[in-house]
Amino acid sequence: MRYVVVVADMKVGKKEDSIVTYALGSCLGLTVYDPVAQVGGMLHAMLPLSKINPQKAKANPFMFVDTGVPELFKKVYSMGGQKARLIVKAAGCGQPLGKNEMFKIGDRNYTILKKLLWKNGILLNAKDIGGTGGRTVYFDLSTGRTIISSKGLESEL
Amino acid sequence: MKQTKLLNILAKVKSFPSMPEAAAKLLKLLDNPDATAAQIGQILRYDPGLTANLLRLTNSAYFGLPCQVGSVNQAVVLLGWKKLIQLVMASCVNAVMGKPVPGYDLPAGELWRHSIAVSVAAEGLAKELKVSASEEIFTAALLHDVGKLVLGGFVKGDLEKIETEASRGISFEVAEHMVLGTDHTEVGAQILKNWSFPPALVNAVRWHHDPDSAGKTDTLVDIVHVANILCLMIGIGVGREGLCYEPSPLATKRLGLRTNDLEMVASRTLQYVDDLCDVFEAK
Repeated sequence: MRYVVVVADMKVGKKEDSIVTYALGSCLGLTVYDPVAQVGGMLHAMLPLSKINPQKAKANPFMFVDTGVPELFKKVYSMGGQKARLIVKAAGCGQPLGKNEMFKIGDRNYTILKKLLWKNGILLNAKDIGGTGGRTVYFDLSTGRTIISSKGLESEL
Repeated sequence: MKQTKLLNILAKVKSFPSMPEAAAKLLKLLDNPDATAAQIGQILRYDPGLTANLLRLTNSAYFGLPCQVGSVNQAVVLLGWKKLIQLVMASCVNAVMGKPVPGYDLPAGELWRHSIAVSVAAEGLAKELKVSASEEIFTAALLHDVGKLVLGGFVKGDLEKIETEASRGISFEVAEHMVLGTDHTEVGAQILKNWSFPPALVNAVRWHHDPDSAGKTDTLVDIVHVANILCLMIGIGVGREGLCYEPSPLATKRLGLRTNDLEMVASRTLQYVDDLCDVFEAK
């Protein structure tokens, strides 16, 4: 199966599946993969903290980093993923030009992710974060390969 | 060389499709304080497709009306006729704005989705900030990027040069101007002028990336500016140039915008965009 993760969304899959998310701007794209169980998932979260709109967070936890990330891990665990084996990669969290703090939603998304991972003793294995480029992330669940496409160029994360 | 490019672009602007007749007539009513529901009904009577679209939009979840609306008259009463005209405009530009856009690498439907998103976010910001922006906010936001439809092909032809300029940390529309002699805001404004749009709308499209240069400050311009960048940030209509645009600190100050407002509007926008886009896809 080929899954598409839209904004404020999460998908999981197993061997022979692939997951893609298009057009990450300031949003966080997070992939989690267990290479032994060959299961994994991808989150596309829009905003850092659910307290801004708890009602929305209840209806869709994947909109926010603080509610979406735990859901992604839980789901991957439920499919047989084991914490010690997980490979975690982050992409996105870009921002527009200039120094306007208000528009640093990407920065704030990444900060909340780091806090969550640190609290739970999980390492971030790779990241492609920040800058003005939009990003598309392809995630192959047979191999765990994560490919990022930005400004017409592809690179492996 | 640049001069020839500019002439080619202007020729393309000239040959850009004209506004559908019903929309042009309705637009004239926007400026007329004495317009009545009957006049709107008169124009729509001859365009059943448009009427059907209008009722579908009116009944979409975005407006949250308490009852099913079955006639144009009823829609005017519940939404007000200015709002209604804007919805008709949305139906009219749906086809042209739904096309894929080269240069910016937007697949079919993405510029349309972005346009709807900026309209929804702009109205959301005005509401959240309790500022009175003009009635035209929805249409201004809807059409802010119409210039990309013409300029896209030219951007594609000179993408390397434009990206080299932009990589020096300048805004993408500034890089467009350096290489092509114009940018998508100027081109968009010219299209709307050719369509005889009201000056406030032309102005909002012209300055949506540079609200501080708009001559006199205008809340409509500031709001479309912020709503546009916000929608790109949340990934709706992010093209090849990504987030290579600069939010104006002065515009955010003029609006009294705070981080919370921005995130709150972002959290609400997505659902509304899906609701409204569903209406068009269900056609």
